[in-house]
Amino acid sequence: MNSTVISTQESTGDRHGRLLEARAAVNAILLGKDKQVSLAFCCLLARGHLLIEDVPGVGKTTLAHALARVIGSDYQRIQFTSDLLPADILGVSIYKREKDEFEFHPGPIFSQVILADEVNRATPKTQSALLEGMAEGQVTIENETHALPSPFFVMATQNPLDLVGTYPLPDSQLDRFLLSFSLGYPDPAAERELLITEDRAHLLDRTRSLLSPDDVKALQADCEKIHVSENLLDYIQALLQETRDDRWFETGLSPRAGLALLRASRALAFLDDRDFVTPEDVKTVFTGLGRHRLSPTSGFSQSPEEQIQELLGEVPIP
Amino acid sequence: MIDPARKTILWVIATLALAMLPQLASMPPALLLVALLPLAWRVGAEIYHWKPLPALVRHGATAGGLAILYISYGDLAGRRAAVSLLSIMLALKMVECYRTRDARLVVSFSLFLCATQFLFTQGIFMPVYGGLTVILALVTLAQLQRSEAWSHAGPAPAVRASILSELGFSTRLVALAIPIGIAFFILFPRLSSPLWGIPDTTLDSKSGLSDSMSPGSIQNLFMDDSPAFRVQFSGNVPESSQLYWRGPVFWRFDGRTWKSSFYGRNIEAPEVPEVTADSWKYTVQLEPNERNWLFALDYPASKPDDTRLTMDFQMIRDQPVIQLTEYEVVSNPDFSDSPELAGSLLPQALELPEGSNPRTEQMVFEWRRQTPDDEMFIRRVLQHFNQEPFHYSLNAPYLGQHSVDDFMFDTRTGFCEHYASSFAVMMRMAGIPSRIVTGYQGGWFSTLGDYLLVRQSDAHAWTEVWLNGKGWTRVDPTAAVSPERVEQGSLGALNAPRHVLDYGWLRGMRNSVDIVQQRWNDWVIEYGAGRQSRLFEPLGLDHLGPAGLVAILFVVMLVFGAMVFPIVMRIKGPSSSDPVQKYWRKFLRRLLQAGYEARPSDGPIEVARSASKLLPASTQPIHRIAHLYSRSRYAATPPPFIELKQAVLAFRPNKKSA
Repeated sequence: MNSTVISTQESTGDRHGRLLEARAAVNAILLGKDKQVSLAFCCLLARGHLLIEDVPGVGKTTLAHALARVIGSDYQRIQFTSDLLPADILGVSIYKREKDEFEFHPGPIFSQVILADEVNRATPKTQSALLEGMAEGQVTIENETHALPSPFFVMATQNPLDLVGTYPLPDSQLDRFLLSFSLGYPDPAAERELLITEDRAHLLDRTRSLLSPDDVKALQADCEKIHVSENLLDYIQALLQETRDDRWFETGLSPRAGLALLRASRALAFLDDRDFVTPEDVKTVFTGLGRHRLSPTSGFSQSPEEQIQELLGEVPIP
Repeated sequence: MIDPARKTILWVIATLALAMLPQLASMPPALLLVALLPLAWRVGAEIYHWKPLPALVRHGATAGGLAILYISYGDLAGRRAAVSLLSIMLALKMVECYRTRDARLVVSFSLFLCATQFLFTQGIFMPVYGGLTVILALVTLAQLQRSEAWSHAGPAPAVRASILSELGFSTRLVALAIPIGIAFFILFPRLSSPLWGIPDTTLDSKSGLSDSMSPGSIQNLFMDDSPAFRVQFSGNVPESSQLYWRGPVFWRFDGRTWKSSFYGRNIEAPEVPEVTADSWKYTVQLEPNERNWLFALDYPASKPDDTRLTMDFQMIRDQPVIQLTEYEVVSNPDFSDSPELAGSLLPQALELPEGSNPRTEQMVFEWRRQTPDDEMFIRRVLQHFNQEPFHYSLNAPYLGQHSVDDFMFDTRTGFCEHYASSFAVMMRMAGIPSRIVTGYQGGWFSTLGDYLLVRQSDAHAWTEVWLNGKGWTRVDPTAAVSPERVEQGSLGALNAPRHVLDYGWLRGMRNSVDIVQQRWNDWVIEYGAGRQSRLFEPLGLDHLGPAGLVAILFVVMLVFGAMVFPIVMRIKGPSSSDPVQKYWRKFLRRLLQAGYEARPSDGPIEVARSASKLLPASTQPIHRIAHLYSRSRYAATPPPFIELKQAVLAFRPNKKSA
């Protein structure tokens, strides 16, 4: 009994070291995107799901792929199209004559890491099949409930430019994504390096897994021990309260979003190798957390990010 | 126990009590009760959770208080009555003060009450006391602001600033107001006469020489160390033995008491001395005494305005001296007063009550037969005082109807008035015209302030006799008994202390400290229209008039405001008592001085990041402080406080090396 405790303690440092290594490995593949990579890991550690909004070709898929590689999980990519059906995601039961029964063939959702590419192209019915899984950690097919693997991490991408023939995710569904960000173009130095070094696909192939699914679960548990001081809880409440003011956004953040903010802040502090959350953690997470949940009252004159930055500038740090 | 939020009401009570305290001292006892009972009830109500009083009781108490006020003062018009009215109304207000709005009202009116003190006293300690009251009132207002509504309201705020930091905050506010106050004091147009000068003589009678003299009257003054007046000489300074400050002069004697005569008070001096090169020029600053006499050395050659110089050289003012009064006099010591005595005055200078003091009369009659010459006779009487066992003492026994007889033959112990009175009576018995002069003798010369301080205890009485050809001549019989009285002053002549606390060093200290009061009188109380225009004379601005002064005042205020505005902006309300926060703020202030302004919405690490861009030379200390602070404030296990403190104290941002 005693030895297990010690071994767990020993491996905490180990695990954390491997986590940082994993992050470094992803950074090496996706050049110049440290902040987004950290947020992606933060999302994973906070048991959330990630929404990446950007134009094609900036590395959304590469990021998802790299993440899946380093955390050593089984990985499925689902390309969402308008004719994709829920069964294509969840799986189907097929009648086996020899056994005289229906056998369940699990769909791609029964993987630990899923890349849902262009999630807004599928019909709402299909979208909700995925989103139910994300929210519940289980799927129901023909009155039978199947638990999803753990950890379960969904990265969905959205193409904001190509709005024709899409079904934008409704607010209630967007709330299921913990964080979102856009990758953006790489800076010149990173782009140059990208051009002259070897193909990313090869690099990906050579990347070995650094964390096991069990490690990820343990790391997720570690994050919950991060200390959040009273005054930061005040700060989080003040931020939530401020989003509910009419002058900023149509609707404010939900209590679920508040919980998510707390979890993600802890995860970010953990990634930074700290045992306490700082106001900067909260602020960093807050933008990623709010940008897909909040729509500014000022219409289209200001992007959600700009509005969120302005809001952050008005709430004093305790 | 008192709920911490309810403590605020105790602050309100304390503020009101402090503002009211100077008024209480002069209130009639019945009113004192009206003023203090409501406060006591309120304190009790807070501690023991008494219910608010019913309206009927409150209204009854108010009506009763007003009735007592009216009975005590007779009417409600005077200064005292009006201020007392304000005091008791505020005290009664405390009984029904259950809302923040009411409490604010009480505190604001307490400030007003505090200001009314200057209607009665303008001593040097009043501004200090007033300042303390203002500071307390500001602290109270801050407390009120913090806990809106203490009785029916919700929880007290979680973070309460320490009283010390609130005190500091209020003190800084008052300190900032002081230069503005000084500017207003110097520049605000002065009126040549005060707006309100209505004397309120029924109260607060000041001690001083009175218009009659009986045995013991000066002795009472002797116990009083308060200043009578201060004198600044320009040019010649008289010898100590010449410092006879002439006050009331008495002609009429009823066997016991000396009184002034109708002539003496109402007939002006027929001849005013000339101003010569040897004359003494001096300025007297007379403390208010509510009498009409101004004091001068013999013989005043010039007199202030609104003053009569009577035929016995008393300077009498039309209005009693109710506030500090300054006047200039020139005295010519070589003047001879009335070499020819008018016939009508002779009987008055010789008048004695019928059949009084027979034993003395007998003796004088005998001596006069032996020495017919006036001056020889005077010398003989003085010799008698000097050689017989007469004592100069405070503890003069009581004298009966024939006071001079009792004194000359039985008690032989007395104070200056006993000697002066007996001497004058004996002169009159011998047919030599005589009168009593009262005033002050001597004084303490402040070398530091270059002025002469005359106290009530320097009060003195002496005699003047009329000699044919020489006129009225001063004879001080006390000097014959106790020459020290004239040489060393009244206190030097006594061996025994006047009371338990009467020590030489204490008197010396009081004398030395008097310079502060003298300067205060000189620069503050006496600062009027005249001084104001004199102050601006060197700048060529003495003909400005009120409008010009106000314009200057306006400009000064603008300049001062521009100078002080950044400081005011930096004063950030009373801080919470958390030392970590305190040093972080200190750090932010230093960054501000170096040119980096942190926004309140910036986290410590963000501050460090952007500040070190501006101050690259200090990057390392900035980051260290930010991390220490962040850890101290947000981590479960904060680092030792001393590290942050030392890091902040050692932090000196240097822009130049950037």
